[in-house]
Amino acid sequence: TMLKGMTRLISRVHKLDPGRLLHTGTQAPQNLAAHLDDQVSSERRRAISRTSENDPVKTFNEACLMVRKPALELLHHLKNTNFAHPAVRYVLYGEKGTGKTLSLCHIIHFCAKQDWLVLHIPDAHLWVKNCRDLMQSTYNKQRFDQPLEASIWLKNFKTANERFLSQIKTQEKYVWNKRESTEQGSPLGEVVEQGMTRVRSATDAVGIVLKELKRQSSLGTFRLLVAVDGVNALWGKTTLKREDKSPIAPEELALIYNLRKVVRNDWNGGAIVLTLSQTGSLFKPRKAWLPQELLGKEGFDALDPFIPILVSNYNPKEFESCLQYYLENSWLQHEKAHTEEGKRELLFLSNSNPGQLERLCACL
Amino acid sequence: MAAPAVKAVRRWSGLTLGLRSVVLRLPGVTQVRWSRYGPEYRDPQVDKEYYRKPLAELTEEEKYDRELRKTQHIKAAPAMKTSSVFEDPLISKFTNMMMKGGNKVLARSLMTQTLEALKRKQFEKYHAAPAEEQATIERNPYTIFHQALKNCEPVIGLVPILKGGHFYQVPVPLADRRRRFLAMKWMITECREKKHRRVLMPEKLSHELLQAFQNQGPVIKRKHDMHKMAEANRALAHYRWW
Repeated sequence: TMLKGMTRLISRVHKLDPGRLLHTGTQAPQNLAAHLDDQVSSERRRAISRTSENDPVKTFNEACLMVRKPALELLHHLKNTNFAHPAVRYVLYGEKGTGKTLSLCHIIHFCAKQDWLVLHIPDAHLWVKNCRDLMQSTYNKQRFDQPLEASIWLKNFKTANERFLSQIKTQEKYVWNKRESTEQGSPLGEVVEQGMTRVRSATDAVGIVLKELKRQSSLGTFRLLVAVDGVNALWGKTTLKREDKSPIAPEELALIYNLRKVVRNDWNGGAIVLTLSQTGSLFKPRKAWLPQELLGKEGFDALDPFIPILVSNYNPKEFESCLQYYLENSWLQHEKAHTEEGKRELLFLSNSNPGQLERLCACL
Repeated sequence: MAAPAVKAVRRWSGLTLGLRSVVLRLPGVTQVRWSRYGPEYRDPQVDKEYYRKPLAELTEEEKYDRELRKTQHIKAAPAMKTSSVFEDPLISKFTNMMMKGGNKVLARSLMTQTLEALKRKQFEKYHAAPAEEQATIERNPYTIFHQALKNCEPVIGLVPILKGGHFYQVPVPLADRRRRFLAMKWMITECREKKHRRVLMPEKLSHELLQAFQNQGPVIKRKHDMHKMAEANRALAHYRWW
């Protein structure tokens, strides 16, 4: 799916921050300043990668994003956040394929450039379905552990936020088992290492990381950005079952329980940016895209004071610039794609939907 | 089956317009596939440019043609024929040959994924190559597809002819459409049968098409085998009577 590619890309974005994306990175502050108010006839665009094999970095030797209005709005809000107030929740919503995930990536890139600590969950839906090894949690008998997903997340977290791991110190002593424990005041990197080496306690390590970061962001040494994609998974239903085939509610998964605590706005010193997603969701109708429909009553009440940001289809200028980007990189190889007639046909077939346009241009 | 035969008989006796007159093509060859349209039915014109031409620009012949179309019978356009600029008859034919059980959606998605895979592979090669070679690398999946199938077309074919109680493989010149059909058929069967079953069709097809584009690979080998067999059976060429 599109989202798997996003994970890899985002971890690569953070790793290559000073390196590959120089030409996009250096242009960022000037671009944003210039285009804040007017219509975005962007200079940075991206081919949305759909699966992890189809990497825009491999095909185009670069990865670009289109600067669009919803992302600019969000960045404006983020720049004017008051870090003394509780963290504000922004929810990106919209129909399928309009660019919610990529707007989130844009925000993450901006915050990473500004040296925030980014807590990015690439797809919360992956945590509530298709889990092979589900174990009973050691910390709390009622909950369940997911060692595989937790260790993958810890690995990505480590590559993304290397420099913070040595700076932040734990404020409590954590005992893993009879032989191992982490002392108070040791760097967070140790907790992450522990989670990655001892896979059985990876979920607990994730919980500890989330708790510590939430507690310490209020102190003001760093700013925390919590970015969750597919946040409607936290309040929906899971497809996981216990050994006696009875269904598991999301609260009973330790990862989900801890994530819900982070997404609550009872801490300050950062921001929370969330994205709804129907594509990976469970038991939700295909046409559902409004926050009320996807989150359900429980989710909506939990997220209640939030700022909704609608991400819609391309407007004519954005469509034109997207096509220009494809033509510049010679992605559109068909002779007729360069003509007016071809462009009109693409506009009609895709209805200016970014996802649909990408799928159409892939084979042309 | 009786009803259409009865209808045909009634039509025969009525001798109305739209009647299929008996056309003898070749001796010993009976028609098994025929359309319900008579010879006076014309093919539909789906080209948008034809209709957009302003009246002033038309030549005498074109004006005559337009007037004629208003009075003649025209066949119904088939469901898969569009007036889209991106339509390609060869691609449509290939998709139809790949289709199984009428699942056109699946066949078409496989075709688009193949073209995409071709494009991506060529882009990777393009970026890996030094500047001098970049001009030689072809990135258009459509040109690769057309060229590959053209390279796979056999020039001469073999036909089993019964003589003296034995079937002899006689070398015979092939019509254009038979050659295109054979190229596509060989490509599809080779991908379906000779490859590992866990490899997906777009991947297999794109690999084979790239090899055929460079005149290598198993399909080209099959074409050469066909040519060699024809060369070996040269002496039997006299058995052909057409």
